[in-house]
Amino acid sequence: MVNEREVKYDEFARFILPVGPVHPALKEPFHLKIIVKREEVLDVELRLGHVHRGIEFLAENRNLIQAIYLTERICGICSHSHTTCFIQALEEVGGLKPPERALYLRTLIFELERAHSHLLLLGIMAYQIGFDTLFMYTWAAREKVLDLFEEITGNRIHHAMNVIGGVRWDLTPKMAEKTIRVMKDIEVTTRRIYDFFRGETVEKRLSGVGLLSQHDAHELCVVGPTARASGLVFDVRKDDPYAAYGDLNDSFSVISKKEGDSYARTEVRILELFELINIVQAALDRLPNGPINLGESPVRLMRRIPRGEAISRVEAPRGELIYFVKTNGGDGLERLKIRTPTLANIISLKKMLIGCEIADVPVIVTSIDPCLSCANRITLVDHETGEVKVVNADELRRKKS
Amino acid sequence: MIALEILLATLPLVFLLSLLFEGIDRKVHARMQRRIGPPIIQPFYDFIKLLVKENIVPTTAARSIFNASPSLAAASSIVGAAIPLANLIARTGIIGDLILVMYLLTMSSIMIVVGGSSSGNPYGAVGFSRKIMMLIGYEIPLLISVVSISIKAGPSLIYYDIILAQIKSDKCLACAYISSATAALTFLLCISAAVGVVPFDIPEAKTEVIHGPLIEYSGPQLALLKLAKSSTIFSLSLLAFTLFFYFPTIYELSIVLGEIATLGACLLGSLMVMLLTVTLPRTVFARLKIGQAFKTYWFFPLPMAITSLMLSVLGW
Amino acid sequence: MWKIASRSRIKSPWIFHLNTGSCNGCDIEIVAALTPRYDAERLGCVLVGSPRHADVLILTGPLTSQMMPRVVRVYEQIPEPKAVVAVGSCAISGAPFLGSYSIEGPLDRIIPVDVYVAGCPPRPEAIIRGIVTAVKRKFG
Repeated sequence: MVNEREVKYDEFARFILPVGPVHPALKEPFHLKIIVKREEVLDVELRLGHVHRGIEFLAENRNLIQAIYLTERICGICSHSHTTCFIQALEEVGGLKPPERALYLRTLIFELERAHSHLLLLGIMAYQIGFDTLFMYTWAAREKVLDLFEEITGNRIHHAMNVIGGVRWDLTPKMAEKTIRVMKDIEVTTRRIYDFFRGETVEKRLSGVGLLSQHDAHELCVVGPTARASGLVFDVRKDDPYAAYGDLNDSFSVISKKEGDSYARTEVRILELFELINIVQAALDRLPNGPINLGESPVRLMRRIPRGEAISRVEAPRGELIYFVKTNGGDGLERLKIRTPTLANIISLKKMLIGCEIADVPVIVTSIDPCLSCANRITLVDHETGEVKVVNADELRRKKS
Repeated sequence: MIALEILLATLPLVFLLSLLFEGIDRKVHARMQRRIGPPIIQPFYDFIKLLVKENIVPTTAARSIFNASPSLAAASSIVGAAIPLANLIARTGIIGDLILVMYLLTMSSIMIVVGGSSSGNPYGAVGFSRKIMMLIGYEIPLLISVVSISIKAGPSLIYYDIILAQIKSDKCLACAYISSATAALTFLLCISAAVGVVPFDIPEAKTEVIHGPLIEYSGPQLALLKLAKSSTIFSLSLLAFTLFFYFPTIYELSIVLGEIATLGACLLGSLMVMLLTVTLPRTVFARLKIGQAFKTYWFFPLPMAITSLMLSVLGW
Repeated sequence: MWKIASRSRIKSPWIFHLNTGSCNGCDIEIVAALTPRYDAERLGCVLVGSPRHADVLILTGPLTSQMMPRVVRVYEQIPEPKAVVAVGSCAISGAPFLGSYSIEGPLDRIIPVDVYVAGCPPRPEAIIRGIVTAVKRKFG
């Protein structure tokens, strides 16, 4: 008798809470079906694909220079990572070697992009826990980085810095000076933001929330700051240096934390901000003189790229980004395959979310810094039939193993 | 009967003042974030705009409750704010009006969540359960602190009697007795939860439950709910100031400068109370989780309120 | 009386932002418009979480087929009167995603758009101007 009543009560108390695709905590649409009992999350179903745009398909129908434009628009936050990764693969296929200065400039923009991305995440994190002031403060600091972008590349968001065989814009000494000045500013601001995050009200919301053990992190193949916060020490910049990271190897270290909770993931990003300020300063100090590209028209360079394939990877702000590029020997692509960091990270959400409270859901989702415009592009696995296939978390996991 | 007429006359005044208070709150909040912020009359724009907007009732909603609750919420909180204001102007009171005011303010916040939960939206239901939990958290210390101070001032449950007691004893109550000081602190701590702002806006958290109970409301209904919230803020800060910090000099002002001066001083004082208890916390704190908020209230204000009650019974 | 109402509407545009497949570039610029340097709240703009509270719908992205029914639904959920602002080149023309199998755009094929803010992505100033123009044109 008692048992029966309990079961009924349970059924009454648990109900399905749809989070998304349109939800203020998610700046981008994705769907979480959360089964809750009072405040506790019992089960999560993840659904991606709302912003799937078929970029791989489009890239295969365009020439290489148009594809650069397209890959830049995969994501507005890590646009430089995407083009760098793509162009590295093309240069590998074509046997082109960009000049040293171009590599340093790529690295510089890369790290500035990481600064803007991490500051953005810290601001969004503050917004999710209802701390508007910190959000405003962080985003005000981020504007300074965007100003730098505007001065160096001409754009705030899509920098269009990379071309085949080099970069588009050179850095004047005045810009370099300003960059160093802004980096000093950012360092001071980041220190203050770090103090904010270490303060009691924020730490209370973040620590112990969304635990991901080192074992799980390893099993689920998570990448980037999410992995590094769970005790995995892995960074493409150190382990497989690209651009100028080989030369700058001594100027930074890989940040890793053992705790594996949302607070650790946030802290890793804050500490990475300090590291990247070092990288920017070292890159500017050692910036070699010389040309910034191969001095040939990109169209001619594009035509010179033979048939072939290459894999390229970079450490985007959110983690390891992998491009597989197969050129067709003309000026187009035969196959483009992109594995974005968010796709690797988003499956770990299920592990983190189960057992938490409703109030923790936005915090946890933000803590992996999902960039769904990246991840959703890849949801379509079945590209031959042109069928839009929505992959849920279980299927994704099966695909992984 | 005269009291009733004054009460009716104060209703528009409450409407104006509570929206003005909200505007000042938003402006100061923005300035603290180094923004320019909206104009001070922004809440009036918002209110009028919402009033002339289309009203949508979702098909899943329990129609009658959904439609009735915003009006009830707004009416009870406006009357709850008008009674103390009218008493201040008329310098009189009715037996038990303090209890009535507290009841109306609680009623208003309950009506908001009842309306939200009748909308048929799961977020409204989550907001409802969160609000009820919050009510248990803050309502008890809030009421105990009021009881404690009414014992000190009489004992009397007439709002104006408490003010009279402060004028007679030549000191504001919070300065005069330890018990009242504790009660004042409890009351101030409870304000931000009672009006539901960060860090205690848990039932209406935008990023978690999408405004919770307010999610399905639109147009005039939403305007009324917003009005209910801002007049609750006004009423509670007015109560906090006049019950605990009514310095006798404020009364003496009326002898020199007329009654308007007394009223103005009270409003200025309650503005300060609002800035301290509503604007400041919502600028410098992050939102708490429901469990943390509940614990916060049961570990600090509740023991404080009980201590204050015991002290005031003992005569401290 | 009508004048007061229309003035209030112009002075308090509450925004609901919907991403219909955007690359995030426009989205972060919209959020940046609320931050201290641009501070859209000084014009009364508030980012709300529920379409029921909104006056202005801001759409970014080339409108993917998955989001299309949701865009229509969100548009219908917004109470009258309402204005729609399409932000970014994708929302205006679909470029560079035009020709993809999963793009249903451009946006104005599905719902009426009042103001187009061009750019990839447009600057926050342009977005604020777009909102103000939309409410002035629609509610003024």
